[in-house]
Amino acid sequence: MSDKDIAASSGLSDLNPQSRIRRTIPKIAKLFDATKCNGCKACQVACSEWNDLRAEVGTFQGSYQNPMAVSADSWTIIKFNEFVDDNKKLRWQFTHSACMHCEDPACLTACSTKGAIVQKSNGTVELNHDKCVGCGYCVSACPFGTISLNPKDSKVYKCTMCADRVQAGQEPACVKTCTTGALKFGTREDMLFIAEKRVAQLKERGYANAGLYNPKGVSGTGMVMVLHDINKPESYGLPADPKTSLPTTLWQDVVKPLGTAGILGAVAVACVHRITVGRNIVEEDDPIAYAQQHHSHPEKTDKE
Amino acid sequence: MHKPELILRHKMFDRVCHWFVVATGIFTFLTGFSFFYPSFQWLGLIAGTPELARALHPIAGLLMCLPLMVMLARYYHHNKWEKGDLTWMLAIKDVMLENEDKIPPIGHYNPGQKVLFRTFVITSIVLTITGIMMWQPYFTPFFSTVSVQWAILLHAVCAVIMLIFVIVHFWMATWVEGSVAGMLYGYVSKAWCKKHHPNMLNDESHSEK
Repeated sequence: MSDKDIAASSGLSDLNPQSRIRRTIPKIAKLFDATKCNGCKACQVACSEWNDLRAEVGTFQGSYQNPMAVSADSWTIIKFNEFVDDNKKLRWQFTHSACMHCEDPACLTACSTKGAIVQKSNGTVELNHDKCVGCGYCVSACPFGTISLNPKDSKVYKCTMCADRVQAGQEPACVKTCTTGALKFGTREDMLFIAEKRVAQLKERGYANAGLYNPKGVSGTGMVMVLHDINKPESYGLPADPKTSLPTTLWQDVVKPLGTAGILGAVAVACVHRITVGRNIVEEDDPIAYAQQHHSHPEKTDKE
Repeated sequence: MHKPELILRHKMFDRVCHWFVVATGIFTFLTGFSFFYPSFQWLGLIAGTPELARALHPIAGLLMCLPLMVMLARYYHHNKWEKGDLTWMLAIKDVMLENEDKIPPIGHYNPGQKVLFRTFVITSIVLTITGIMMWQPYFTPFFSTVSVQWAILLHAVCAVIMLIFVIVHFWMATWVEGSVAGMLYGYVSKAWCKKHHPNMLNDESHSEK
């Protein structure tokens, strides 16, 4: 894949589309199997090592989860979700939290800067920091909360799916280091196949609600997850129905065209009125005196 | 020689305020355009770079909205609804077509200007509040993502409405000749008042300047 293989870009529209050649590359995906994760955080460390990220050391928040949230300096974290099952037993449900690389990314839709967020032909969502202006629209649009604005440089950061490794034919650093095989990497087709087999296996073992998290609202994701109970994604800190939100859609698809029509309409009406009705001039009682007085300094003071 | 009386319509403080709002408003709207229209991102270059446009837009926006609010507060007493405003509104066609004798007399501000006034009150307040909510990286982290998404939408809606009314304001001010001079230097002629705001002459506050 080359850096020309862009499938979608922020700041474009149907009138001003992205070039649509070379979209034959198979989509890639990361598969996170929550039923295999033991919360060792090796993925978290590998990510910070490979991408050279050093988040500031935080404080204890009553959880092994550390840091508590994805940030510009920590692109992936393991979430330690505490879950009480039907037998009143407490257990951890780990979530490998990072950019989901949505097929229909809300961040890209919300971004109003051309080319600052692009989707590569392999399905990964990538940021161009030299174009990002730091408005943060993507940060508030992301339904997963996995894109973060760095206050130090006012640029957004997130998981790149280790684009530099993938380009060289390697798996992302987190997958490479995963100790339990909870993380896998490959074509999206292969990952979905493996996930399906795993879900069937889990059902056999008594996890009747086991399922695949590949949310429809964002047309599927570039990180799919196998969960113990697909009906309770919230218990993994995942949204039940992630999608591009209504205000973001209204802003892009309704306010922009209607607003443009309104602005142009107002200008057009003003111009037509000016040309047809003409000037609106006051006939002064004494035009010469008026001109003199207006052009000389008024005697009266206008100060308060 | 008889000298036509000049009447003070805008005090110096208000005039300075007005043109300050114009200057900061031009900057705010042009940089705002650069975030609203990806194809017009080059408008952000008036601030130097798109990043600078993003960083300066909220500051310029405050410098536009806050003095505007001060002005609006000072002009409030001229903008209350009055008897006769409705008849003027119903005669809007005659106003636009300059059918002089059919236009009902009005005071310091006509009902059209009073609508504009109210629009500026609402939009400047909403733009300031939503603007603060979406001001990265300082204030946005204090609000939920859902409320910020609605703030972004409302900010755009109010900006468009305000711009349309600014266009109307500019159109009317340049059409009714003498208005711009009035806002620049403060004075309008008695004949101008008689034609456009006849009841203003009865207003006691104008009898002695």
